[in-house]
Amino acid sequence: MWKSRRLAPLGQAFRTPLSALLSLATLALCLPLLWVALHWLVLSAVWPWQPAALCQSQTGTCWPFVAEKLNLILFGTYPREELWRPVVTSVLLCAMTVQTGLQMTGRGLPLRLGQTALLWLLALGLSFALMAGGVLGLAPVDSIRWNGLPILLLLSVGAIALAFPAGIVLALARDQDRVPMLARLAAGYIEIARGVPMLTFLFVGIFVLPLMLPPDTRISPVAATLVALIVFHAAYFAEDIRGGLHALPAGQAEAAHALGLPYATTAGRVLLPQAIRRALPSIVNSVIGAYKDTSLVVVVGIHDLTATARMAFSDPEWRSFALEGYFVVGLWFFVTCAFLSMVGRQLHRHSPAR
Amino acid sequence: MKFLFASLLLTTASLAAPAVQAGAALDDIKSGDALVCLVSPNAPGFSVPDSQGVFQGFNADFCRMAAAAVLGDAAKADIRGVGFSDSMKTLVARGGHLASRSITATGTRDADAGMAFIATTFFDGQGFMVPAALGVSAAADLQGATVCAEDGSTTLLTLADWFADRGMSYRVENIADKTARLEAFFSGKCDVYASDVTALNSDRMLAANPDDYVILPDVISAEPLTLVSQPDQELESAVFWAFQVMLNADKFGITSGTIDDVIADLDSQPQEVARLFAADGAGADMAAKLGLPADWAYQVVKQVGSYSEVFDRHLGMNSPFKLDRTKTLNASVEEGGLMYPYPIR
Repeated sequence: MWKSRRLAPLGQAFRTPLSALLSLATLALCLPLLWVALHWLVLSAVWPWQPAALCQSQTGTCWPFVAEKLNLILFGTYPREELWRPVVTSVLLCAMTVQTGLQMTGRGLPLRLGQTALLWLLALGLSFALMAGGVLGLAPVDSIRWNGLPILLLLSVGAIALAFPAGIVLALARDQDRVPMLARLAAGYIEIARGVPMLTFLFVGIFVLPLMLPPDTRISPVAATLVALIVFHAAYFAEDIRGGLHALPAGQAEAAHALGLPYATTAGRVLLPQAIRRALPSIVNSVIGAYKDTSLVVVVGIHDLTATARMAFSDPEWRSFALEGYFVVGLWFFVTCAFLSMVGRQLHRHSPAR
Repeated sequence: MKFLFASLLLTTASLAAPAVQAGAALDDIKSGDALVCLVSPNAPGFSVPDSQGVFQGFNADFCRMAAAAVLGDAAKADIRGVGFSDSMKTLVARGGHLASRSITATGTRDADAGMAFIATTFFDGQGFMVPAALGVSAAADLQGATVCAEDGSTTLLTLADWFADRGMSYRVENIADKTARLEAFFSGKCDVYASDVTALNSDRMLAANPDDYVILPDVISAEPLTLVSQPDQELESAVFWAFQVMLNADKFGITSGTIDDVIADLDSQPQEVARLFAADGAGADMAAKLGLPADWAYQVVKQVGSYSEVFDRHLGMNSPFKLDRTKTLNASVEEGGLMYPYPIR
């Protein structure tokens, strides 16, 4: 009936009287919402080139607020004369994430695993060095001034990149029977980490971890939070990978054993590549969860995007624009999570069959 | 502003506090040529980063006051926004020299080693805001009211004490996020909004029509908001007396705009003013003893201003909040308030 492929969904929506009725009802529900959104974002919005004073009389988005405060929302209180450092850090970490995501779906630069790992270590090291300064003639900047986007990326991407290898080790430790003690330790660790809310981990990282260190050593809140996030997420990655290991036919391990392969080779060359591939969809799921959870660090006093947005509308001159501030943050999370789930969908389509 | 677990953290912090050495903090400020000052990351009017990421506000200006007094340059205040519990820890762990972030001075806090209260810059107290339509004129009429208050704050404890003392019943609506809390109040989910009076004044401005809401005259707690530093006799003296310089400037009507004229013609000024600013006066004498720049008093007034100037700039008539200082406890003694300039001689 509908020749064009693009119109095919429309044909389905009105195929039977019932589906037509449901489609119309859904439209009737959505249209007012869309109208409200359009009104707020466009029709009664104040554009960046208009005077900010107009915002008081208009009911729509106050774009002058966003234009005025965008630097503050993205980079917080990082010294303005050094602004290129958080900018480079953010671009670097975004580029690495996009590259790895595309690579997993077979479209990015075809790098080997070792190269990817090395590149990640380099990128993370460079990011920390850029943000902290004190090397290469860069002025030192205290970690309390690492705000907004770069700290969100450093903590989420850094925690995920470092928790993943830790998760592999944990999964292997739990899934072997040569050293039962190690298996039990790994199982205990995973169950504890998964049985405790992330907030507890954050508080432990911020308040208890420094007490456990030798006196006179200072650990920055950012480092303590990163450790807490790694410890927490490693357990989830371990369980994802263990699921992949369990999905493998027992014959794989037995065949490798029969060939006389040592354990390290069996795990590294036979089991893990297959297990990780099978577990990819759930790993991507954990990655998205971990990324979004990172905004919780605001409760331990790290000023990520949400916190800088709040700073932006705490300015006495701009106090009634909370919605605009949160909108910018929401938009960022929406776009980035959409990318991650796009990667996830592609993996779903291609991966497990191989 | 003041969370419940702060006391717990203070206890933890004091365990880790290293031995106190007089003058160490002041030496550290001078050798680093920067005064690390901790403020709240987003307290409208008190400390909020401007569009350039630099903290501005009433509390931030006392960081600048300390830097002007100790280093001779207000711009050398390294003002950092940290959460409440964190600021105590950072202070004790020697990450910060001074905290100017609306910390209520209390006995148990002062008894803790590792930090010292210096000077109260702002006298506040907890109060109530109600819709004008409710027709309530005093807090005693609030029997059975639903109160919106910050989750986990001392506001809740004060409320509980106050209502219990009077045998009145009330319901509380705990909301941690301020925007959500105000929205709940303005939309009528709560009858009453409880917070510090200054916060009530500024929050009222966020209503669609501020005149629809009134702040009740009752003030049910004492909140002397005080500067806190690392324990260091010299640093404490420097900051305390820098604050007194700002109060004295008000007493003699000197502002950052007029100070240069005053200095140019010190002979025609009252003796007390001459003592404060003259090169051979008591101010310079103090500077020599404390190891401050000789013109520290001048720098404080020139670069930061007098107390009322700072107040009006961020909270008073020159700010969106339009608080009338003379009607608060922060008026000078002559105006019936609590700000009492100590003599410098």
